[in-house]
Amino acid sequence: MEPAVTIKSDQLGPPSGQPVLAAAVGLARVLRTFGMSASVDSEHVFMRALAEIDVRERDAVYWAAHAAFVHGPDERPVFDVVFERFWEGRALILEERGAEHGEDDARMSGSHHGGESLPQFGAEGEQASPLDGDNNRATREIPSPDGNEGKSNQEIGVLAAWSAQDTASEEERLKYQADELAALRQLAHEIKRAAPERRSRRCKPAPGGDRLDVRGTLRGSLATDGEAFRLSFTAPTLRPRRLLFLCDVSGSMERYSRVLLASLKAAVGATRKAEAFVFATRLTRLTRSLDGHDLERALDHARAAIPDWSGGTRIGAALEEFNHSYGRRGFARGAIVIVVSDGWDRGDPEILATEVRRLQLQARQLVWINPRPMTVDQQPLAIGMRAAMPYVDEFVAGHDPRAIAGLARLIGGLGADRPQRAVVPRAAPTVA
Amino acid sequence: MNGFDSIAEMRQALAGQRYLADEGLATVAFLALRLRRPLLVEGEPGVGKTELAKALAAATGAPLIRLQCYEGIDVHQALYDWDYPRQLLQLRAGGSAPLYSEEFMLRRPLLEALASDPARPAVLLIDELDRADDEFEAFLLEFLSDFQVTIPELGVIKAAAPPTVIITSNRTRDLHEALKRRCLYHWIDHPDLAREVAIARARLPHISERLTTQVCSFVHELRFLDLYRSPGVGETLDWAEAFHVLGRQQMDASTADRTLGTLLKERDDIERIRGKPVEALIDRANGVPKDGASGDH
Repeated sequence: MEPAVTIKSDQLGPPSGQPVLAAAVGLARVLRTFGMSASVDSEHVFMRALAEIDVRERDAVYWAAHAAFVHGPDERPVFDVVFERFWEGRALILEERGAEHGEDDARMSGSHHGGESLPQFGAEGEQASPLDGDNNRATREIPSPDGNEGKSNQEIGVLAAWSAQDTASEEERLKYQADELAALRQLAHEIKRAAPERRSRRCKPAPGGDRLDVRGTLRGSLATDGEAFRLSFTAPTLRPRRLLFLCDVSGSMERYSRVLLASLKAAVGATRKAEAFVFATRLTRLTRSLDGHDLERALDHARAAIPDWSGGTRIGAALEEFNHSYGRRGFARGAIVIVVSDGWDRGDPEILATEVRRLQLQARQLVWINPRPMTVDQQPLAIGMRAAMPYVDEFVAGHDPRAIAGLARLIGGLGADRPQRAVVPRAAPTVA
Repeated sequence: MNGFDSIAEMRQALAGQRYLADEGLATVAFLALRLRRPLLVEGEPGVGKTELAKALAAATGAPLIRLQCYEGIDVHQALYDWDYPRQLLQLRAGGSAPLYSEEFMLRRPLLEALASDPARPAVLLIDELDRADDEFEAFLLEFLSDFQVTIPELGVIKAAAPPTVIITSNRTRDLHEALKRRCLYHWIDHPDLAREVAIARARLPHISERLTTQVCSFVHELRFLDLYRSPGVGETLDWAEAFHVLGRQQMDASTADRTLGTLLKERDDIERIRGKPVEALIDRANGVPKDGASGDH
């Protein structure tokens, strides 16, 4: 590692850069508490960057911090709020706690309740910069109860979404029993073995391969003075195909939620190429919540991440959201897409048909698992389901939750061959 | 040398290459050069991620070395390979030169970048890294953190002067945290209207200002419509060029209708915009207020 930054003295005046360093570390620390991965490495980058720019200029410092700490567009809102307060030297308080315990709580030390307060860094206008003084300690500020009330509430809205406690759902959490968890591990194991594969463009040496391996042949010929007696061959390797789950978690699907979630966890745990999304009225990516070795914790996280169990469904809109934000980037390309839904859709069936078709065009195979194909009034299929049917490569009907639990066997048989698709006439595009 | 003394200077140098960077992008580009850190840029297709590397190379007078990633790319396509035919010949001829030496090595882009002239370190563009697989990403770690690679037969090869590395990604998958940590990060947005007009003016100086402004305003409005695939800056430029080639001095609905394929690449989108919405958008681009202009949402 290189030595810490030396700040140009003409920029800051005496003493050396200590307060800047403290402030930089402070920023990283607060970012971490809001769930961003501000590693020590990023801190280091930020400090070196500060040595290169004029630290009195807000924009330069902002972009330097942005380059060091932000790793995706989704992190930007949080970063913006934290940075704004950091730059103005204001304290940053978690609203939910302030509201619960009253403002007294905020006066407790930062590591305890009351949230983080920020060290001061920059100051606007002619106000003496805290960097100039001999005040080497980061200053902490106690927020005033009045003042920028309206604005801060709005900001807190963004932040609150990042605190794990806050997103925990109000409903009772389903605890899985030990034997269920064991069954789940078993299922994960089965999926792992059964996961469909695709040919990779990578090759590896294989005696029965069909491509001449010049490199290997040459190596082999060294033993015989450059005479290539034995030819080596390579063959393409196999990689797991991406499994993409899109699961309905609306009201009509609630009774399957338990086994559904468990199956998703099993699939995500089984292959690194699995992605899980759930939807009711909105789409939520669940892969990260489901990741990790601790089964119970993963299931809890996932439960908490699902915004609206038992809400209404707009399947078309949810799939549209998927196509727009993920599909366009290639999430579904060549994947086995598995939609689990009963097809009860409150939205426009035409939108649903358009989006399912779009999804099918990207996917290697589109499978629709419907745990409840029959409706109460003996209609053959829900309207949404009927709209989607022409674009589904494989339709799997189940009459009880076990249909989902039998997933592993189903997945094993998928993706071997490209499905034969007839050209289906498109639904008329909706032009207003 | 990577000599830019300030962010403003960096910006100007890029502008000199007709690449108009905003404050944020100019800052990270400046920092990437000064800190010698790779720069990871992400953004919608067509916002100028690849162009950035080209402009940066031209602005610093450095050679641009490009590595296009794809599924299955490996060391032999990215770093080096041995020249087998020559090795075989050498063996047959009974030459004495060692087979696994620099003499028989084929340099691929990464090695090329390490071996570039120390006086003018290359700009290395690693394009669409998300298309390569995890293994390749892991392989890049050593390269990106220390600007060195290990070749089993030869040992460690280190850059005399580290190249400037620009990595682009379309986010088809999450890049590994370890890789991101080694990089500076920037997300490029679609430019705002004024900037897009400026870009179009700089890139297409032969096209009238009126037409350029109209096209840019049209596209700008279009991006609000939540199409399946919004056009990027590159497509805006293509479209303006299309009007110019057809001899139009300003936009008209019928030409716009016919050339829509230059701008939009999805049948659904084209059908949605064709006809009435095009007229409404042109009116808007011309600054004519009209109620329910685009007529749908």
